[in-house]
Amino acid sequence: MSELLKGNFKVRNPVAAEERRPPESLAETQRKRALASIGGSMVYVERTPLNWDGDGDGRKTG
Amino acid sequence: METVARPVNGTFLDVVAKVPEVAQRVHGDRIVQHAADNLPFLRKSLRDLAPPDPARARSALVVCSGPSLKRRDSIRRIVESGYRGLVVAADGAYIACLKGGLVPDYVLTLDPHPSRIVRWFGDPEVENHSQGDDYFERQDLDVAFRKNSLRQNQENIDLVDHHAARTRLVIASSASAAVTRRAVAAGFDMYWWNPIVDDPRAPGSLTRRLREINGLPCMNTGGQTGGACYVFAATLLKAQEVALVGMDCGYYADTPYEQTQLYYELQHLHGGREGIEPYFPEFIFPLTGERFYTDPSYYRYRESLLGISAELKTRTLNCTEGGIVFGPKVACLRLEEFLERHR
Repeated sequence: MSELLKGNFKVRNPVAAEERRPPESLAETQRKRALASIGGSMVYVERTPLNWDGDGDGRKTG
Repeated sequence: METVARPVNGTFLDVVAKVPEVAQRVHGDRIVQHAADNLPFLRKSLRDLAPPDPARARSALVVCSGPSLKRRDSIRRIVESGYRGLVVAADGAYIACLKGGLVPDYVLTLDPHPSRIVRWFGDPEVENHSQGDDYFERQDLDVAFRKNSLRQNQENIDLVDHHAARTRLVIASSASAAVTRRAVAAGFDMYWWNPIVDDPRAPGSLTRRLREINGLPCMNTGGQTGGACYVFAATLLKAQEVALVGMDCGYYADTPYEQTQLYYELQHLHGGREGIEPYFPEFIFPLTGERFYTDPSYYRYRESLLGISAELKTRTLNCTEGGIVFGPKVACLRLEEFLERHR
């Protein structure tokens, strides 16, 4: 079908075909799943500030 | 005394370094969604919390759900001591407290998991929520939870329903709909807040977005509910001295790796069981010389707790009697020594 349509009209804007990524290996998929689980049991870790109530600058207390 | 038996190495630190980024990716959308879902339930926030009786606020005990809580029989010892200070419990330790006759002044809940966390309050939908999920079987907390039967769960529901009105629930906007529904049904006095999940001063901050959604005050968590209890006790309750109990951030040396929270994930990362030891660094607990090992998540929590302790004016004592949380501003102390000071 693409061969039939090719070149019989002009598009107004240039079209960039999406680049296809090579399929992920099983090992890489498992690695990503493992990392997701490791980070999946918590809310993020960030030390500063300890309390913040939207004062615009990020008030630090403690 | 030497406190490290098997030091952390580059491989381990590499995984630890990825934890915050991965957590942000895993939880980001969910936290925002939960903050929006919880809007109809916001009646009071941390701003509405009455200051505690100054005599009691001389000290606070933060009770977490690490394996030492059971092994050291900490709750019974607290109850029998006649301790008069404040008690702040992590949700995972709440039912253990109630069963031991200790009704916490405050319970904190934070984790946004949609189906697991409600079990800490007795889960009316436990059968639906536990299908295909072995999370509780891999937690070394309470045998009762590990064998969690329907009967046990119903007893927990009844226990929480009976005591909820005596405890203030300090509930993060990240809590799931299941936790919110359960907390309302149980009759908790609820005080809402946002977890600080990144630097609110940074462009595109998720913390700032949460606050824009609900206007709630924001509090740091150190990455875990126990850490949030610690920050809450020190900065909101302004306890002069905070003692940590059940804050192991590690495992007893006789715990098989296979029974730890991240074993299967780490095994995948490493490519097998053989030579996996570097993912489990070992520490020597200074009071007893016992060995404890940790994993990347718990190690990250430990580092956060030590960082927070350095920023606080509050004196921090670790009365866990085990684990890996100790440092320049976190001294280890026998639980009785702390309790005797606050009778």
